[in-house]
Amino acid sequence: MSKKLKRIVDELKELESLTLQCMKCGVCQSVCPLYQKDFFEPSVARGKISLIEALYQGRIESVPGVIKYLDYCILCGRCKRFCPSSVNIDEIFVRAKGILREIDELPFYQKALLKSLIESADFLTNFQPVISVGMKLVSKSAGESGLRTVKFPIKKSVAPVSPKSFNAIFGGLNRAESEKMRVIFYPGCAISYIFVEWGEAVVGVLNHFGVSVYVPEKNRCCGIPAATMGEIDMYKKMAKLNHDWFSSIDDAEYVITACPTCGYGLFDLGVRVAGLESSKKHMDIMVFLKEILNVKLNKKTKGRSTLHIPCHYEHEYDKTLIGELSELNGEFEPLENQSCCGFGGTFSLKHSGDSKEVGAAKMDEVKSKGFEKLYSPCPGCVMQLSELALDRGVDVKVEHPVMDFYRLIKEGGA
Amino acid sequence: MVRKRRLKKLFSKIVGESRCWIEEEVCASYSYDAYPEKPVLPDIVVMPTHTEQIGEIIDLCNRLEIPLTVRGSGTNLSGGTVPVKGGCVMLTTALNRILEINKDDMYARVEPGVITQNLANAVEREGLLYPPDPASMKVSTIGGNVAENSGGLRALKYGVTDRYVMQVKFYDAFSNLVKSGGIPVKLVTGFNLKGLMISSEGLLGVISEVMLKLVPPPQARKTMLVFFDDVLDASRVVSEIIINRILPATLEIMDNFTIKTVEKFHHIGLPTDKGALLLIEVDGHPAAVEDEYVQVEKICRKYGGDVHIAKKQEDRDKLWQARRDTLSSLAMLKPTLILEDATVPRSRVPDMIKVIQDVAKKYNLLIGTFGHAGDGNLHPTILTDRRDEEEMKRVSEAIDEIFERTLDLGGTLSGEHGVGIAKKKYMEKEVGRGTLLFYERLKKGLDPKGIFNPGKVI
Ligand SMILES: Cc1cc2nc3c(=O)[nH]c(=O)nc-3n(C[C@H](O)[C@H](O)[C@H](O)COP(=O)(O)OP(=O)(O)OC[C@H]3O[C@@H](n4cnc5c(N)ncnc54)[C@H](O)[C@@H]3O)c2cc1C
Ligand code: SF4
Ligand code: SF4
Repeated sequence: MSKKLKRIVDELKELESLTLQCMKCGVCQSVCPLYQKDFFEPSVARGKISLIEALYQGRIESVPGVIKYLDYCILCGRCKRFCPSSVNIDEIFVRAKGILREIDELPFYQKALLKSLIESADFLTNFQPVISVGMKLVSKSAGESGLRTVKFPIKKSVAPVSPKSFNAIFGGLNRAESEKMRVIFYPGCAISYIFVEWGEAVVGVLNHFGVSVYVPEKNRCCGIPAATMGEIDMYKKMAKLNHDWFSSIDDAEYVITACPTCGYGLFDLGVRVAGLESSKKHMDIMVFLKEILNVKLNKKTKGRSTLHIPCHYEHEYDKTLIGELSELNGEFEPLENQSCCGFGGTFSLKHSGDSKEVGAAKMDEVKSKGFEKLYSPCPGCVMQLSELALDRGVDVKVEHPVMDFYRLIKEGGA
Repeated sequence: MVRKRRLKKLFSKIVGESRCWIEEEVCASYSYDAYPEKPVLPDIVVMPTHTEQIGEIIDLCNRLEIPLTVRGSGTNLSGGTVPVKGGCVMLTTALNRILEINKDDMYARVEPGVITQNLANAVEREGLLYPPDPASMKVSTIGGNVAENSGGLRALKYGVTDRYVMQVKFYDAFSNLVKSGGIPVKLVTGFNLKGLMISSEGLLGVISEVMLKLVPPPQARKTMLVFFDDVLDASRVVSEIIINRILPATLEIMDNFTIKTVEKFHHIGLPTDKGALLLIEVDGHPAAVEDEYVQVEKICRKYGGDVHIAKKQEDRDKLWQARRDTLSSLAMLKPTLILEDATVPRSRVPDMIKVIQDVAKKYNLLIGTFGHAGDGNLHPTILTDRRDEEEMKRVSEAIDEIFERTLDLGGTLSGEHGVGIAKKKYMEKEVGRGTLLFYERLKKGLDPKGIFNPGKVI
């Protein structure tokens, strides 16, 4: 074994206490969206953990081979959620990737992209109008859903970047008229630059109920894309910067998110991997509306609607969310298919075909049952599901439920 | 590597290039199963997509004289799918079609890679029941269930997998397709070869299709959770229920250590001072259910049992929660979990509980005991750390002693997890030299080159 390899192997040994907890029962096979598609052990947590073990126990030597399968993962967290041994699977994956990447450096373009996208908070804020224009130039309008097919770097429909970021419009304290309390809203990249109107809805709904909202002047990425690429130091740094900012605001108890992956990245995985202690409570916007504000609507939306629960949603609140949507829409019915949409951020870029295959069955259910609206409280899921709808010719509107809350409130529904 | 590439070329001709792998990272993913044994890498992994390819794969292995280990989901607890002599691992996971569910003659026909739970769900949608319900059913395959003769939580009343196998089709070592059994309830033409395939652990042939008996689901059921001060009282209740000719569908036990551990991790409100609990479920015709329930309750109270019954479906889920959380709670206590399945005649359950208590004390080990008390099938679960060599030595001695004393009680080494590599060395003691010789001759005659799953059972 080369000296270089020896060093990684030694470092991987630190992971041993985490991987040892896996008893190889295979239960994760039954919930992993990739295993359910491939029926192939390297697709699922048990296989990936075994590969890390095989590497540090010297049965195999191919680092890129292991990275390949660590990368082939949506990081949806379903394996961890159902693991009888409570193995810290997500932590194992990102830490292992971090260590492995140290040697097997990122391809240049990925590193450059990542750096420019997330490390400097100013980058996108300053260059956003340019990117927005650029994206329009290289994309052709795909249908009327507002999605565009970008030809470069990978053919992928994405929502167009908004010419003005959410932070540029709402950065600072957004005061409610008769103020009851103050909270921090962390929008994350997707709401800052793409789903700006969701951010507006969050602020609008909270203000309506007497909650003033702090919005960061500049968006700083939660760091999850860095974690999934194995850039563990960058991830820790982003998590810490965000938490420092949260702590700097004394008069807010809660940090609200409308992207479960940001919530997970900052308050769950982030806290574990970066060893942070959060000074604030975190809550998803929909949960906050119900649990803290106890919002009751006196109007309902029309048409048949359904729900995709994001994998990173705090699942103890699944029932709360379902209850809220039943109150929002009289003909609401959750999807039977409880699997993952297949997005997984960078996963959908690198493994576009697999990503779509995972989510396809969900869209087929939406089509066969004729739902007109598909709620999902997550930007990633909405992008993925919108694209799937477009691909499969399904006429359904996909969006965050807070949008309809906001519309009803504006119509005087609460 | 040259040899491996040649292998890949040959197997590719059968299954296509994208369905066979020689890369070490794929081979390493098929070097283990759910039994904590040293992993061994195969030389090649193949994934047939049509059952006819099974015959061709066997033929190729025979010509190359390389071992062939069949693998379903790899959840067996005896090392049965570890390719200890390398060679080819053949996956059945893509052979996962449910071919037929026949409501008139009440059977299902499936390929070997169908997941047990998927079959159970499909059958339920047709208003029928496939009773075998191993705890791993969300993951395990039907092929694995037949090859291990898996049991489940309902085994006491409904029996284990073998009771439901009506027909098996399999490929022998000469790649001939063999068929045994059929739809008629009575069928005596020829040897009972389907019986031979049950518990064959991949040593005698490769199952390519199974026909399974289905039954009408019970109309009613009643669930109760009963706490006892003393685990021996609980085990006496088990014997007495059966002596009274009552056959609950489920009769599960958990000892104090297990109760405490479940409570520690899941906080579901179990009384941690109790010596044991029994989870009992009777099912069948509503009148019979009521009648049996009254009797069971009486027996429980006689031994000081504190009885809780489920009135609604949610209550039932709550009562089952403790049992469902058992393995995961024990697993969280220590890094390594060794799940045994020594089984005794049910009248000897109290003695067996005593044995396990003694062994835990003698070797100073953490052992949680739970399991299918009604079948005499207990799961003494040893919690340890495989990095601690000294303790692992004691673990190994403790297991030896548990087995020894199980056999003394007229029991068996394995109630449901199979022999594989795990229990190979104890076999002669249980079945005797003559029986082992018979196995060996049978194996030699059916598989002269010894390609099927070498290094296991015998
Ligand atoms: C958490 C957990 C709980 C469990 N609970 C139970 C339980 O309650 N009851 C119980 O009985 N077991 C239980 N088991 C053990 C295991 O799940 C069963 O033995 C199961 O039947 C194995 O199925 P599999 O598809 O994983 O088979 P594998 O592990 O892949 O294979 C098992 C054996 O069958 C052979 N085999 C597989 N397919 C074929 C085929 N098509 N033709 C010929 N041979 C074949 C293999 O070579 C191997 O020897 C449990 C395991 C775990 C991890
Ligand atoms: S479910 Fe958990 S313990 Fe079981 S194999 Fe998967 S990761 Fe390991
Ligand atoms: S995170 Fe999701 S995709 Fe990745 S191994 Fe776990 S279940 Fe599978």
